[in-house]
Parts: sequence; structure tokens; C-alpha cells
Amino acid sequence: MKRKSLALALAAVLCVSSLTACGSSGNDSKKDTADKGTEAGTESGGETKQVEKEKIEVPDEPTKGGTLTVSLSSSPRNLDPAMYTGSYEGQVINNVCDRVVEYNKDLSEIVPSLAESWTVSDDGLTYVFKIRQGVKFQKGKYQDGREMTADDVAYSLNRSAKESSLNRLDMLENAEVTGDWEVTCTLAEPNAAFLTALTDAGNSVVPKEEVEGWGDEFGAHLVGTGPFAMESFELDQQSVLVKNPDYWVAEPNLDKLVFKVITDSNQAANALKTGEIDIASSITGEAVQSVRDDSKLQLMEMPGLHVAYIYFNQVNGPTADIKVREALIKAINVEEMTASIYQYGEAVPAKLSLPPGSWGYDASCEELVPDYDPEGAKKLLTEAGYPDGFECDLYISNTALREKMATLVQAYLKTNLNVTVNINKSEWGTFSESASSGNADMYGMSWTWYPDPYFFLNKLFSSKEIGALGNGQGFSNAEVDQLLDDALKATDQNERAEMYKKALRIVTEQLPGIFYSNENVIHGLNPAVQDFVQKADNQMFFVTPWTNVWKVQ
Amino acid sequence: MLKTILKRILQSIPTLLIVVTVTFVLTRMIPGNPARSVLGPQASPDAIAELEEEMGLNKSKAEQYVDYMFNVLKGDFGKSYVYNKPVTTLIAERIPNTLVITLTSLVIALIIGLAIGVFSALHQYSILDYVFMILALVGVSMPIFWLGMMLVMTFSVNLGWLPALGMGDLSNGLGDFISHMILPCFCLATIPTATFARITRSSMLEVINNDSIKSLRARGIKESVVIWKHALKNALPPIVTVLGLQLAQAFTGAILTESIFSWPGMGTMIVSAIDNRDYQLIQGTVLFIAVVFVVVNLLVDVVYMLINPRVSYESGKGGK
Repeated sequence: MKRKSLALALAAVLCVSSLTACGSSGNDSKKDTADKGTEAGTESGGETKQVEKEKIEVPDEPTKGGTLTVSLSSSPRNLDPAMYTGSYEGQVINNVCDRVVEYNKDLSEIVPSLAESWTVSDDGLTYVFKIRQGVKFQKGKYQDGREMTADDVAYSLNRSAKESSLNRLDMLENAEVTGDWEVTCTLAEPNAAFLTALTDAGNSVVPKEEVEGWGDEFGAHLVGTGPFAMESFELDQQSVLVKNPDYWVAEPNLDKLVFKVITDSNQAANALKTGEIDIASSITGEAVQSVRDDSKLQLMEMPGLHVAYIYFNQVNGPTADIKVREALIKAINVEEMTASIYQYGEAVPAKLSLPPGSWGYDASCEELVPDYDPEGAKKLLTEAGYPDGFECDLYISNTALREKMATLVQAYLKTNLNVTVNINKSEWGTFSESASSGNADMYGMSWTWYPDPYFFLNKLFSSKEIGALGNGQGFSNAEVDQLLDDALKATDQNERAEMYKKALRIVTEQLPGIFYSNENVIHGLNPAVQDFVQKADNQMFFVTPWTNVWKVQ
Repeated sequence: MLKTILKRILQSIPTLLIVVTVTFVLTRMIPGNPARSVLGPQASPDAIAELEEEMGLNKSKAEQYVDYMFNVLKGDFGKSYVYNKPVTTLIAERIPNTLVITLTSLVIALIIGLAIGVFSALHQYSILDYVFMILALVGVSMPIFWLGMMLVMTFSVNLGWLPALGMGDLSNGLGDFISHMILPCFCLATIPTATFARITRSSMLEVINNDSIKSLRARGIKESVVIWKHALKNALPPIVTVLGLQLAQAFTGAILTESIFSWPGMGTMIVSAIDNRDYQLIQGTVLFIAVVFVVVNLLVDVVYMLINPRVSYESGKGGK
């Protein structure tokens, strides 16, 4: 009997440990995408047949009232803006709180929010924000819906800069109140990406009394100035928000907004079909197809701020030679590869290191990327001195998407160039160490962040980032460095965009890697949901100056 | 008997020690850094180092093990950094949700399984007996995950009778609560029902062919009394053993079932703990489940002794 209970107990342990094996892939896929975690999907697989969608009758005027339920694929944990770490928290915080500035509908420019206007000093070090008057906080335990002031703004920004472990606002040296409705932010060095950083949910404006009153519990009792107030937060289940009738932008059409945690993507699609949820966010794989094929549901998809790529070593090994890099690029059919990796069209083939959703994107650079041409590739490799190919290592993290990619690359290069690729896969921590070390011949990963090109081009190609994960392959080009530096000091967005476009052109000419796909932002919708705006950064907003989501009753 | 029980409790201590050790080693073997998991991939190396220190991860594995053992002995299971709460609080919060579905499905399984088993035994080799036993075989072999998805496709998506996921809210009425329970319970009850049916059938068959039952019948006692009072009682020991096993297994089954149905119990918590490399929470929940296993087994033994006093553990394994 004793032996039996030991055996049983060990069986339980083993059962859990076998789950750890599955667990690791799920977890790392989140991280493999080095941050904000946009999930994916698309129409790219052109062979997918279109299903005739049923139309519903939509009244001309928005209907007031109703509950909108949105699925999240993982549970938010801590909704305190300064403490949150995952992209799921951001979705909830975004709708409870406001920030000083926001990105507009198509992420092309930064627009006022709690700041009515702002000025930037010529040296790019001082930002003066004029704070909007008459904005009230939602009622909480420690304050009774008082007016938001400049003190709150300065307090929230300083708190984020000092307390966030994620350095969301590390460029900020200090924020101080310099007038009744004026906050002055001082940066340590010029950084035009400061405004973009301010749009992050982590830099939301919150009242000090509530933060200090609740302490560690503030996340579960979040208070802000946003369109919805927190009613309840149940970990692993749901966050229930109710409308803030006094919202300064507009009175929300919806009475309630519920974020429900559904970890299984197929179950999210099922819940959408049964009407238990109205919007399924972050559905992947087969679930995407099942929504696409359902005549009663709507699938929204657009390329996200995401790029998946293989980065070549710029300093050591055969790939230090640009001819070899060109040969490798020509030997791989990117369209075919993307369609095989993302079977349900969850991504579109890409060309450039910057996603099309960023305002620094320049479509005219696309032609600089060589097309698939196995014969030309072979010729180039022979010219480069490797007529019989060579052997090299490809590093990836152990996620299904990367493994598929690596296997395909291995096959293309073997067949077309007789190049032998050894696949080195490991969990994220080990992978990121090898990738940052500069010792990998090639590594495969993806990058996703804000729409500001800084978060892609500087991180991936600035020589200052050599040794970090972004530029682990040692890309170094004086002209690119200069352009990237200047773009960070300039304060006019158009001027900056021009510099980034120039930098992108030089980078692309250097053929640093194969930028093969942009994963899509995908939402499954009940057609009763009206005026929902999908954004390339996968942030969901329900009441903004440009939209006020409602539901046909 | 008290002495026997005490002895059994003492015997379970090494079992639990081994479980704690194995879990400790296994969690440390999962690739991944818990501090990085908590803070997310954007976290700075400084912040990660700081949290590692706070979590005690900068110490050697042996030191961590000794610390953990001492804390466990003191009844301190540590704190989950992901949830920012003590492990014991988290388990206490989640366990009622899991018990609701595991116990309900076991009761259903026991009633249906016993009925089918007795019926099949009495009508051995009848067509219904074959049908039931084939169904039981299918039931035992059914992968829970697949079954769950099929149930949702059928009853929620196609027929629209039942909600696909989540736990009902009692404030919306009992109906809402029960309708959310039906699919997860069905899913969890399938394997135990089939197991009970098979074990009851074989145990009953053995008993009703016994001389003692034959003599009861010969004495003209009513057939229903013979079956339900005498035969079933004698057939119970193996069923009780299986009940203990199934109760413990229902906990592991709940891990899958809860994940499918987004049921906020221990199962979903374990999965997210593993995903997040939440060492303390993984260790705490596994230890908790191990304790459940041990306690259930102890209870099974006690029940055994009650229904069949001849069983003695002094001389090794008794009963069947």
C-alpha cells in the first residue's frame, strides 16, 4: 500500500512534469517575439477560399448600452501601470487610464490626450506639456473622483521612470510641475522616442492617493481617467469594467467591457461562435481558419508591428562577405517559406527590417532585396569562394514557428547551395545569450515594438547595440549610426522619418539578413460589434476621439 | 485499528519527502529563468538580478533545497511571485472550484458506473452487456482534451444548449452555475464511469458465482436483496480501491479539463505556474496534490478495514 501511494504520487509529479514540456513552448513563443507580443494571422495564403459572410442589419445611429466581452489569451496579473509586465495587462490598463499623449488611429502621428499641447526645446532635452483641465478621475476608495492635475501627471511619470523594472521611461530624468497646468520633463540626453514611450500603458496617469492607499493591491483596484472604470478583477478569469459616464472624450456607448481569459485559441473561436464573447483577440492557427470560414463571424487582419528574420553574422565566418549573404538570400523562397510556416495565413511575407505599420517604412527599399534565384545564388557563392558550399550554425529558440523556419532554411540551402545548416535550438534564455554573443553564424527570431522606427532600426542596427540581443551580429555602419543618432535628436517627425528612411535604405543595401514575414494582428468579431478599430500595434481601444465602439442589440 | 492508521500516517512521510525532492529537482530542470518570466523579456539585467536575489535564486541549488525543506516543515510554502500572494492562499482560493467539478463528476460516475456494472454482471453476455462494455472501453481510452473539444463543438457551438467555457456565477442563479458545470463534469466523469462499470462488473461476477451467494439464493432470499445487499457488499473492496484512485486521478484530470473550459481551479493555476516558471507555486501545488493522494489512500485503507475487518495491513497487502 505504501508502495502504491508513492507510485501514485510520483505519477502525479510526472504528469505535471510532462506538462512542463508543453508549457515551455507556449511561454517562450511569447518571449521569442522580443517584447510587446503581437500575435498573428492573414489573407496571405491566397489559396484560401472566401466564405460569403452573412450581413446583419445595422441601425444608422449607434445603440447605447450592452456588454462587450473580449477574450485575452493569457491572464493579466498586475494591472498597476508601473508594475505590469505582459501585453495582456496593457489591454485592460489602456481602457481604464489615459496617458499624456497617444498614437492616432493609424499610428502615423502622436496626438494630444491628457496633455493638450506640448513644446520641445531646441536641444531636445526639455518637453513642456500643457495639461488638460476639467478631467476627472473615476471614483475610488481614497478619492472621490477629483480633478486630475499637473501633480498627478508628474507623479505618475516619475513613478514609472523610477519604479518600473522594464525601463519603459528610462530616458526621463525628471518630471516636475512648473505651472498650474504645466509639467516639464527633462531628459538626460535627446531622445525623440520619448513621446512614443509615453503612449505605453505603463505611463498612464494615476492618482497618488489610490496608489499609496492600496499599495501592492493597487493593480486590482486600478483608477484612472479613462472611458471605463474597474468593477472587478479576477485573476485567470476576467476583468470587468463599467463605463465612466463622465469620460472627458465622450460618453462610452457600451455599459460594460469585460476582458475574459481564454487560454486555448480554439476555445476562443468556439466562444465567439456561441456568442459568449464578442471579440476574440490573439487567435492563432486553426482557430483563425475556423473564424474565417464561419459565415456568421467576421475576421479582421492586418500586418502587425512585427518582423521575423534570420540575422547573418556581419563580422565572422562566411556571412561576413556580402556576396555570401546575397547568395543565401537568393537561395530562399520567402513567400513559399512564410506560407509553409503560417499555414492559416497568420502572416504576410516581408522584405524589410521595419514593419510596414511603422511610419519610417519606405516601400521603395523593397526592390533592393534580391528575389528568389537559386541559380544566381549558386553563381554568387562560387564567386565568393565557396563552390562546394560550407557548414554553418543557425540558432533559434525552441518554438514551433522557429523550428519550422529552421527546417525549411536547412532544406533550401542544402538543395540550392550545398550549404549545410546545423540547427541549434534552445530555450529563450540560452538562445538570447548565444544570439547576443556575436558567435552565431545565423540566428532566427522576431522583433516587435512601438511604431517609432527607433525601436526597430536603432535596436537592430546601431553599433551601440552590439552585444545586446538586437544587434547581436555586429552590424556597424558609420553613416547609419550618424543617421540614427540625428533622428533621435531631431524633434520633427517628418524630418525624423526622412532620416530613418535613409538609414533603412543603407541597411537594406548591406543585406544584413532575411526579413521574411510580418505576423498579422488578428481579431475575430461578432458582426454586431460596430466601429472597432484594429491597430497594427495590437492595442485595443474602445472609446477614443476617433471611435466609440457599440453593439447592435 | 488506531495503531494501524497511525502507522500508515508515519509511513506516508517518506513518500511526501520524496515527492518534495523530486518536484524540487524537476522544477529546477525546466529550462527558463523565473525572474525573467516574472518581469518579461523587456526587463533590464539589473532588475532581473535584483529579483533573483529577492527570490533566493542566486543561492546554490543545495542551499535553495535546504531552505525550501525547512520552510515546508514550518508550514511555509513560499510566495508566488507571479500572483504576488502566498502559495497557501492561492491553493485555498482555487481548491473549492476544483472540488466542485471533481466531486460532482465522481458522484455521477459512481452512480452510473455501479448501475451499469451490476446490470452487466447480471446479464452477462447479453447484447446490452456487450454494448456497455464496448462503451466502457471507449470511455477509458478517451483522451480528455479531445473529448472536451468534441463536447464543446456539439453542445455549445452546434446545438447551442450549453456555455462553452467559464464558471457560472451564483448571483445569476443556480441554473447559470449548473449549466456551466455540465460539460466539464461530463468530460471529467467519462473515464471514472467507464472504470467503475468495468470493475463493478468483474467484481460482481466473481461474487455472484460464490458459494455463499448461491446458498443465499438457495435459501429463497429475494433476488434484489441478494444482489444489492449481499453481493454488492462483497464486491465493494475493489470498487473502493478504484474510487480512491479515481479521486486522486480526477485532480490530474482536472488540469486538462480546467484548461479546456477556462475553469478557474487548481488545474489552470498549475498550467500557468509552469508556464511562468513559478517555482514556489509548482512545488506547492504538486505537494498539495501528493498529500491528497496520500490522504485518499489512507481513507481507502480505513474504509477497507471497516467494510471488511478481515483485511489486515500487518502482513503486507490484504484484500484484492
